[in-house]
Amino acid sequence: MRILRSVRHKVCADGSFMKEFLLDAPLTRDFFTYLGYFGQVEALPNVGDGFYKFEKQEWFMIKGFLGDTTIEVRFRKEVMDFTTDFLYFLLASYREGTMDLSVLKQRERSVGERVRKHLHGV
Amino acid sequence: MNPPTRMIYMNNAATSWPKPHVVLDAVRQSLSLPVFGSGRTTGSQGDDYVTMARDVLSRFLHAGPPEHVIFTQNATDSLNLLIQGFLSEREGDCHVLTTALDHNSVLRPLHEYERQHRIRLTVLPFREGMVNPDTVEAAIQPATRLMVMTHGSNVLGSVQNIRRIGTILHDHGIYLIVDGAQTAGHIPLDLETLPVDAYVFTGHKALFGIPGTGGFYLRNPASVTPVRFGGTGTDSFSLFQPTGMPERFEAGTHNYPGLAALAAGVRYIQTVGIDTIAARAKHQTAFLIHELQQESNIFLSHDHPDLPIITFNIRGIGNDDVGFILARAYGITARTGLHCAPLVHREIDGGSGSVRLSLSWFTTDEEVAYTASAVREIAKNADSSVRPS
Repeated sequence: MRILRSVRHKVCADGSFMKEFLLDAPLTRDFFTYLGYFGQVEALPNVGDGFYKFEKQEWFMIKGFLGDTTIEVRFRKEVMDFTTDFLYFLLASYREGTMDLSVLKQRERSVGERVRKHLHGV
Repeated sequence: MNPPTRMIYMNNAATSWPKPHVVLDAVRQSLSLPVFGSGRTTGSQGDDYVTMARDVLSRFLHAGPPEHVIFTQNATDSLNLLIQGFLSEREGDCHVLTTALDHNSVLRPLHEYERQHRIRLTVLPFREGMVNPDTVEAAIQPATRLMVMTHGSNVLGSVQNIRRIGTILHDHGIYLIVDGAQTAGHIPLDLETLPVDAYVFTGHKALFGIPGTGGFYLRNPASVTPVRFGGTGTDSFSLFQPTGMPERFEAGTHNYPGLAALAAGVRYIQTVGIDTIAARAKHQTAFLIHELQQESNIFLSHDHPDLPIITFNIRGIGNDDVGFILARAYGITARTGLHCAPLVHREIDGGSGSVRLSLSWFTTDEEVAYTASAVREIAKNADSSVRPS
């Protein structure tokens, strides 16, 4: 799954930076299951076609509806420079079915160290 | 529920939409000929939209001489001009009152002055959407010079008892600036008899104008020092700002299309009748509130608003998520978050924000019913939140 373009953006009331992205494929349940390896996924499956939310604490949050080709991403602004690339990589790496997540996990650890250092100094 | 074929707009407290056709026609018409700016052209074609809008607003607000209505960019611009203009020549100890219901357009200018140690600021609390006039009286100090307060809360929809509060303040010789961004166009106003020194309005909300217009009524022009200077098309030999109204406070080229739209919007309200508008809003608001009250996990911030503003949260789901779901799954445009009124939210939801639905004359009964069903459906499903991973 790839991000085609950023549709709009705004600074939210909580200080996060929201970007809406257009994707090249519709969101699926399998995609959110995949995201679940990297953070917490919550869902309201009976709302609309199914509302899903993925949160990677201190990094970003993704919201979307199954079948939709747009997602709303809220970045923690202070570490956006580190996490934006990971978001693109995370989406582009997704394939249906079983996946080898080792490269992604390695990248996650690396970005995580930079995020922790920037936010907490450790 | 079948999604609607067109967007349902429930964000009229931010900016009203749609606009009456006469407003759109007025914008188009105003740009069809070179603008007529008094003292700025030899041409006689085109209407004098500024004078026309001033006359229309003055009559609508019962604001006395039209020249006491000043045009600005918006309500925030008006509040800044008035607050800065009033405080600019105050010396010594100066105590100012405002309320926790107020918008950042009031709170930020006042807090900036407080940070610069130019005023002492007291923020008065509210209860059930209302600021108690007795609380205002109790907060008055010998050095209290000014109170700036909202007329209608943009979060709770409550309209304050300005007549009582203004009377108390005037008895103590205290100046009152009222932010009427949410009330102008929603409720009948008689500024000649209302005890206010300045009343601020915006064009793009209930007055059905377009963004970029607003203004204020000023009872005594000498009470506020101008803080914006420039060309007026009058008295041009003088290197100082003219002292007469409205030039004392208006410098630079006006927003002609915006003022044409504002005048058309107000005339539209007069044609329909503000009482008719208010009656429908009251009926629709009551219906929506009654519907939302049927779900035990919907928490209304205020259950008897005076304005068509309904603010709520759903237990177990963030207000941002509710807004996202309403927009994407139901085609309903609302507003979420703090609504630029952080102190209200500190009181009603701990500062996390809420979902706001705000109606206009163009909101249909069907749209209200659909919105109520949508919110109830989300609430019903909120408790069934699952974690698939």
